[in-house]
Amino acid sequence: MFRSRSWFGGPWGGRPKNRLSLDHLKYLYSILEKNTTVSESNRGLLVESLRCIAEILIWGDQHDSLVFDFFLEKNMLSYFLHIMRQKSGGSSFVCVQLLQTLNILFENIRNETSLYYLLSNNHVNSIMVHKFDFSDEDVMGYYILFLKTLSLKLNTHTIHFFYNEHTNDFPLYTEAIKFFNHPESMVRIAVRTISLNVYKVQNSSMLRFIRDKTAAPYFSNLVWFIGKHILELDTCVRTDIDHQSNQKLSNLVAEHLDHLHYLSDILLLDIKDLNAVLTEHLLHKLFVPLYIFSLTPAPPPPSLALVTQNLAAVLNRNVDIDIQEMHNPRVSSIVALYLLSLVFLVVSHAPLVHALAWVILNGDHSVFKEGAAEILNSYVEHREVVVPGFGEPNESLEQALDTVTGQSSVSSYALSEDSGVESSSPATTEVDAQAEVDAATKLRNITDEEKELLQKSSGSGKADFGELAKPFLDTVLQALDCTENDYLALLSLCLIYAMSHNRGIKNEWFEQVLSKSTRGSFSYKTALIEHLLNIITQSSQPSCRIRLITVEIALELLVTFTKPSSDEARCITTGQQDLLFSARNQSMLVLRNFYKSEDIFLDLFEDEYNEMKKAQLNVEFLCMDSAILLPPTGTPLTGINFTRRLPCGEVEKARRAIRVYFLLRRTCQKFLNERESLLPLTNVVTLVQVDNTLDLNNSDLIACTVVAKDNTKQRRFLVIDALQLILVEPDAKLLGWGVAKFVGFLQDVEVQGDKDDSRCLHITVHRGGVTHNRTPLLSAKFLFDDHIRCMAAKQRLTKGRSKARQKKMYQIAQLIEIPGQMDSPVYAVGGTTAAPSGSSSGSSSRSGHHRPIFSTANRVPGFAAVLRNSNTAGVSRTQMAQNRSIEGIRNESAGRSRRRSPNGTTLRADPSDRDRSPSVSAGSHSSSQSRENSQPRSSGNRSRESSPRMPRPRSEEIPLEDFQHSRNNSPHSRGNASPASRSHTPVRVLQYEISVHSGSPREPSLVGTNALLSQLNGVPLAREVLPVQSSEETSFIGNDATDGGGGSDSRRKGAIETV
Amino acid sequence: MSYAYLFKYIIIGDTGVGKSCLLLQFTDKRFQPVHDLTIGVEFGARMITIDGKQIKLQIWDTAGQEAFRSITRSYYRGAAGALLVYDITRRETFNHLTTWLEDARQHSNSNMVIMLIGNKSDLDSRREVKKEEGEAFAREHGLVFMETSARTAANVEEAFINTAKEIYEKIQEGVFDINNEANGIKIGQQHSPTNPSLPGSGGAAGAANSGCC
Repeated sequence: MFRSRSWFGGPWGGRPKNRLSLDHLKYLYSILEKNTTVSESNRGLLVESLRCIAEILIWGDQHDSLVFDFFLEKNMLSYFLHIMRQKSGGSSFVCVQLLQTLNILFENIRNETSLYYLLSNNHVNSIMVHKFDFSDEDVMGYYILFLKTLSLKLNTHTIHFFYNEHTNDFPLYTEAIKFFNHPESMVRIAVRTISLNVYKVQNSSMLRFIRDKTAAPYFSNLVWFIGKHILELDTCVRTDIDHQSNQKLSNLVAEHLDHLHYLSDILLLDIKDLNAVLTEHLLHKLFVPLYIFSLTPAPPPPSLALVTQNLAAVLNRNVDIDIQEMHNPRVSSIVALYLLSLVFLVVSHAPLVHALAWVILNGDHSVFKEGAAEILNSYVEHREVVVPGFGEPNESLEQALDTVTGQSSVSSYALSEDSGVESSSPATTEVDAQAEVDAATKLRNITDEEKELLQKSSGSGKADFGELAKPFLDTVLQALDCTENDYLALLSLCLIYAMSHNRGIKNEWFEQVLSKSTRGSFSYKTALIEHLLNIITQSSQPSCRIRLITVEIALELLVTFTKPSSDEARCITTGQQDLLFSARNQSMLVLRNFYKSEDIFLDLFEDEYNEMKKAQLNVEFLCMDSAILLPPTGTPLTGINFTRRLPCGEVEKARRAIRVYFLLRRTCQKFLNERESLLPLTNVVTLVQVDNTLDLNNSDLIACTVVAKDNTKQRRFLVIDALQLILVEPDAKLLGWGVAKFVGFLQDVEVQGDKDDSRCLHITVHRGGVTHNRTPLLSAKFLFDDHIRCMAAKQRLTKGRSKARQKKMYQIAQLIEIPGQMDSPVYAVGGTTAAPSGSSSGSSSRSGHHRPIFSTANRVPGFAAVLRNSNTAGVSRTQMAQNRSIEGIRNESAGRSRRRSPNGTTLRADPSDRDRSPSVSAGSHSSSQSRENSQPRSSGNRSRESSPRMPRPRSEEIPLEDFQHSRNNSPHSRGNASPASRSHTPVRVLQYEISVHSGSPREPSLVGTNALLSQLNGVPLAREVLPVQSSEETSFIGNDATDGGGGSDSRRKGAIETV
Repeated sequence: MSYAYLFKYIIIGDTGVGKSCLLLQFTDKRFQPVHDLTIGVEFGARMITIDGKQIKLQIWDTAGQEAFRSITRSYYRGAAGALLVYDITRRETFNHLTTWLEDARQHSNSNMVIMLIGNKSDLDSRREVKKEEGEAFAREHGLVFMETSARTAANVEEAFINTAKEIYEKIQEGVFDINNEANGIKIGQQHSPTNPSLPGSGGAAGAANSGCC
């Protein structure tokens, strides 16, 4: 009622029909005029009017200039001010609307002259200094947004509306920075934005104001605030040894990074005067007194000398610094190293990083008194000194800013002088000079004391002093010691990495400092390289406690620091290089122990390679991870990335061994200037791609209908290559050719029969890798013409899968130089002792001793023929001939490996095998035994045979095919097969599961892993399989120069040629 | 003005996609959309009810802050929800989504709920990005998708409220650590609406208080 009456009671005769019109604004003006006092009753009306005013003004800005004229003419902003200054009547409610209106106004205005008009009287500044009720979230939000919106309007023209040169008034800036540590993060962010927007404006008098009147208080408070935040972070690190409050820690770290990036953004604006002040504060109020100070050895118990010294200081009334040092807060060296790394990773302002690096590399304890004056002087003329010391500014920012605007500056600086807060006004240079002199005197005293102490304690002369001359660098280098663990070492490496990669530090200078010889003939660089090599050597040991990331950075740094200055060879001694190489060899030995010990070894191996290729070392990202601040842990339950923790369990140990080897291999290749020729295992170039046209003449093709999940049907021909499963469609033009419509790796194929339909297979092609969390490449039902073809397809796929895997396992063996021909205990893979290979191969009189990788495999006769027909059409006779000769070579040593497990024979098919039923699946008899494997799996005995152990696949195990056991059919197993199994007839195991024979009843310790593994690798080495491997094998034994064919050449084995 | 929870949102996307208009449309319905007049604001708050609980949504627009690295990186953290907005009449705003999303994922906490918004659905005649494309993008990146119009107010409510529902669900599931304010969620003080001082705001707040105020 009230509202409607007042709307129609205006002087313009009531509410105009058109909401967006000058008339309406006039009407609203009348409301403002009449309701100058906010009360409970007119609150709603005022709010609504203010809201409408915003709307009309924006409309007017775009459509009718008279609207703005009227607004200005009536000085309506003054009404705004008047309203907000009233305390009564729920002003918070009205204020929110007022601020929203203002925000809408300034955000949406397009017309520049309108903006100027709005700013031209001082009302906006008056609004800014108004003390709103900032405890109201909404008021705070709109207010800070108001300031931010205005700061976005700042440029060299508009700056004069905000900054008054004569009165030294700049409320936009001074009001905003008062909220620099507001509890609401969005507010803090807005404050940072506003300050950066202000600094960005190129107006010298404004910048002078900022530097002279606000920089010191603002920066000192900012630095103090950051410092306090760091102390909190340190507490969190100290108390959270168990990774319990990781969230809190990571938030603290992220927050600190925000601060650093903010400081870096200021420094990047490259405002000389401002940067000088900021650098001085950061260095002498935070970095040196807190970070560097924390690098000094743990809090020394107050020595007699120190006490005396302090006493003397007190007596001399030089209390400020010395007392302060006594109570100086410090953070743990972990945190100190971490924070310093962050500085070098984020900040690139040369004077700052250079000075800080200088302190670390050259400084001694005197730096706590005199700071990095020497360096800074070269950058800044007329430097205004800040006495180092971490302490609270004795004036809060608000107080300081209030004094700035009010009183003369001298008094406020005089105030701050005795606590060591920077004096930046020219009027106080005298004071500064005094402080400097003071500091210098103290410094002399102290260094003398220390010298004396030193000489007393060690008794020797210069050398020792020289050693202690760089206490911080020594700390950093000592931290590289990994004997216990790599907790400190990782952070120390990060720091060294960050310093050496910082753009603000001149590289030559860095080099020069490091190469200075300080310890007798040793340069720091040599010491560093030796430390690095130490880490690397240790990391190649089997049971070291060094994380992968540490190894990676250490290797990276090794490469960096041995980088040749010109084209010459790397600056590394032969001895050092030997250390590196022996580390690689050691890591290879470690890796050999894992070879095949887990059945997913191949997947792990390839996965790790891809991971390593994908994840380029990024120390900046690493340092965003707060987890590295906590003691290294092994458990993945913490959610810590694998490379940043210790391995947990056998699988991860294998992964770690693989990765360490890869890293070392890569580094060694860098040193040798070699190119990687053996990795990745799959040569992508030779692979068939989708849409390739293939010559399928003479290839074995199986017609099938692929029924996808959505029931779409496609007629395809199934082709099985050496590595790939290919679905082709007949080529339209060339007879006998086909176009690949789908390709997938055989090694990732999973085949399942259909209970109800013997012509049907369920085929899944995974994307590879250890974790199958992604959707498979293909998952479909394959319908064949009859059950014979279906069985054939199934066999080829399962065999193809095994062969593909076997081939890669062979490549790995080659890579890690598993000594095959020798009866070497090295091949005690996974604790498996080399057992005598089967006495006889049916194929020839030569006994079939093979490389160990295949040794545990059993073979299935007959399968060869199928394969041969299907995809080995291209295998040349020569190759096959070669194979035979190689076999010969191989077999010569057979007799030496009698200790191998009875079933550990892998034999080639003899011709007679081929005649056997092609439908017989592979029987795999594993008989590897493990000494190490301590977790025998209880498993149901699913085998038809009375094999003692019947391991079931674990969840992460790759699905294995349904091998059929046909031991009796295999003449090769005769000698070795367990008596129990011999009595059985071949049976087709159609379920998708693994059946493994333990062919070795004598070895009751046989456990699942190895059994499975041998199953996996226990694919028969049919004659047709061999050609694929033969040349590689040849090249592997190539030491003996049997064959010139390199491993890489041999990759192209398929019958299918890519056109 | 008491609430059970406060959720902080941010709105991201190219300039001119109508972020601040969406925001104003949601937070202040009194601004009736008028043809040919676009009004926006970069901050707003509104109370909604989910599951019988009063929830305050506080929305911060990031406009104009892209120039500084420190600002962009801090913005994403501290938000429980993000609206990623593109303009269906401008293909390039859609093309830039990947960059926005990468930024968001890199800097935000992993639980942040991101909703993809194709704005200006009223301008169907000038449409350059099909609805299906938006849907596909959302599916691919695991986002919730919706086409809205700040002008006709179509789906605007739903966009903000659905996001809130998802955040609320995550709270119920215990995914969000609600005691950690850095996640963009605050527990309200139901019974003391006049006291907005922050409960358990952790160390940063504590330090802040002693520093300046």
